Amino acid sequence: MGSKVCAILADGINTAYHGLPVLQRFSLQVPEGELLGVFGPNGAGKSTLLKVCLGLVPPVSGNMRICGYRMIRENVPFVRKLTAYVPQSFDVDRRMPVMAAEVVMMGRFGRMGLFSRPGPNDHLAAGNALDMLGVGHLAERAFGRLSGGEKQRVIIARGLAQEPRVLLMDEPTNSLDWESQRRICRLIREVHTDRKLTTIIVSHDIDLLADTCDRIVLMEQGCIVMERDPSEFRHCCRGQAHS
Amino acid sequence: MMDLLQDVFMRHAILATFLAGVTCSCIGVLVVTMRISFIGVCMSHAAFAGALLGIILGVNPTVTALLLTLVSAGILGPLADRGNFSPDTSLGIIFSSSLGMAFLLLSIVPGPKTEALGLLWGNVLTVGRTDIFILAAVALAIVVLLRLFFKEIQAVVFNREMALASGIPATAVFYGILVCSGLTTVASLNAIGGLLVFSLIINPAAAAYQIASDLRSMFLISALFGVLSGWGGLWLSCLLNLPSGALIIVFSTLIFLGAAAFSSLARSRRNSVAVPYLKGERE
Repeated sequence: MGSKVCAILADGINTAYHGLPVLQRFSLQVPEGELLGVFGPNGAGKSTLLKVCLGLVPPVSGNMRICGYRMIRENVPFVRKLTAYVPQSFDVDRRMPVMAAEVVMMGRFGRMGLFSRPGPNDHLAAGNALDMLGVGHLAERAFGRLSGGEKQRVIIARGLAQEPRVLLMDEPTNSLDWESQRRICRLIREVHTDRKLTTIIVSHDIDLLADTCDRIVLMEQGCIVMERDPSEFRHCCRGQAHS
Repeated sequence: MMDLLQDVFMRHAILATFLAGVTCSCIGVLVVTMRISFIGVCMSHAAFAGALLGIILGVNPTVTALLLTLVSAGILGPLADRGNFSPDTSLGIIFSSSLGMAFLLLSIVPGPKTEALGLLWGNVLTVGRTDIFILAAVALAIVVLLRLFFKEIQAVVFNREMALASGIPATAVFYGILVCSGLTTVASLNAIGGLLVFSLIINPAAAAYQIASDLRSMFLISALFGVLSGWGGLWLSCLLNLPSGALIIVFSTLIFLGAAAFSSLARSRRNSVAVPYLKGERE
């Protein structure tokens, strides 16, 4: 890990869902500025890992630190303001009365606190995020009527409008066509570098991770079973698939 | 009609339908956009059962309706969040239990059941000053809360998990919405009735959902439709000498059908603008 400070530090995390273990003695260190890929089969605990980072799933035992803050009850609201989350594509009704610009502005609401309204800085941050993702022209369009790729870019813009230090993405290219997947991946890499973020991407797509990330870990049954740089990881996985 | 306006009961009825229309339709916007209609149905039945309990115990029915509604909100929230059954199953159990309890209580209400049945169907022409005061207080509270927490509500309506992850107290907002939904049901019980109130919550909001472009305008359109439903139903009730609660719901359903037809027409017009393009490309 060198001398870099750890943005995400998980130490012996155990979680359970309805009594069944999900993460099991899970440990991970993500240095500041790294773009980490998390690969693995369904049920390996990849999405749970992101939810533990956000305090959405409390660990049964173990220690989690985000940007140096221990994930205890008092710190969770503060950590959530430093951490942006891009969930798996979710179902939004076509008629949902929310415009793309409003969705991006929602990324600012947590930082602003209760009883306050968006000010000039918030509008500037939301506008910059929309432009960075190339969706400024969609600002006044209903979010529900956008295409899958446009929605995904708006959701990533929402995360960036939050001005986070850590970006957590769960299957960001799920349900997109191949061309849109590649475009989103390039965009994630650019945004990660430009904003000096620490990013975790969870995906089933090994090529996507290998083309985008600095390091990839393989999760199985709630543990990390392999950790490689992208080219080695792709090679190992393809080798395993052929044997 | 002008003669009727000189009667106190009619002035009360007009005010009550205005307040119930605004309150129910504003809560309806949240219920429709968050797709929690069944939670609201459960709560309206719990309120009805609570009011019947009050009649049997000789306590103010509004107080017992409020208590049972808040208890059911306290059960429904966690059940919808993290029940061991699917939310649909849990809500189905609560719904059938509260319905069963309501009819059981209805059967053991002593003496004539006029008051109890009045809670079921409601009668806006018999509301008194206290009912109007309660409706006004709930309407004011809901409008103030919507204004104060609009951005948090908007984020929760869009996606609760993302709202929570970005540092918004989404769970508190969701539970607050359930409690407000319960308060609205209880406040409208005498005027609209336990069985019908939920239609006034859903129909105007569902109509506004067809045509609104943003959440703020959806609240305004829904409130307008709610008040129109109330006043339209009241007018029809005077004209046809039929129960006001039922006619308010009929009127709100007609508004919904009109909005759905308008939305469908607008959509087909948009599509017909796109068709010549396609034809041109093919040619």
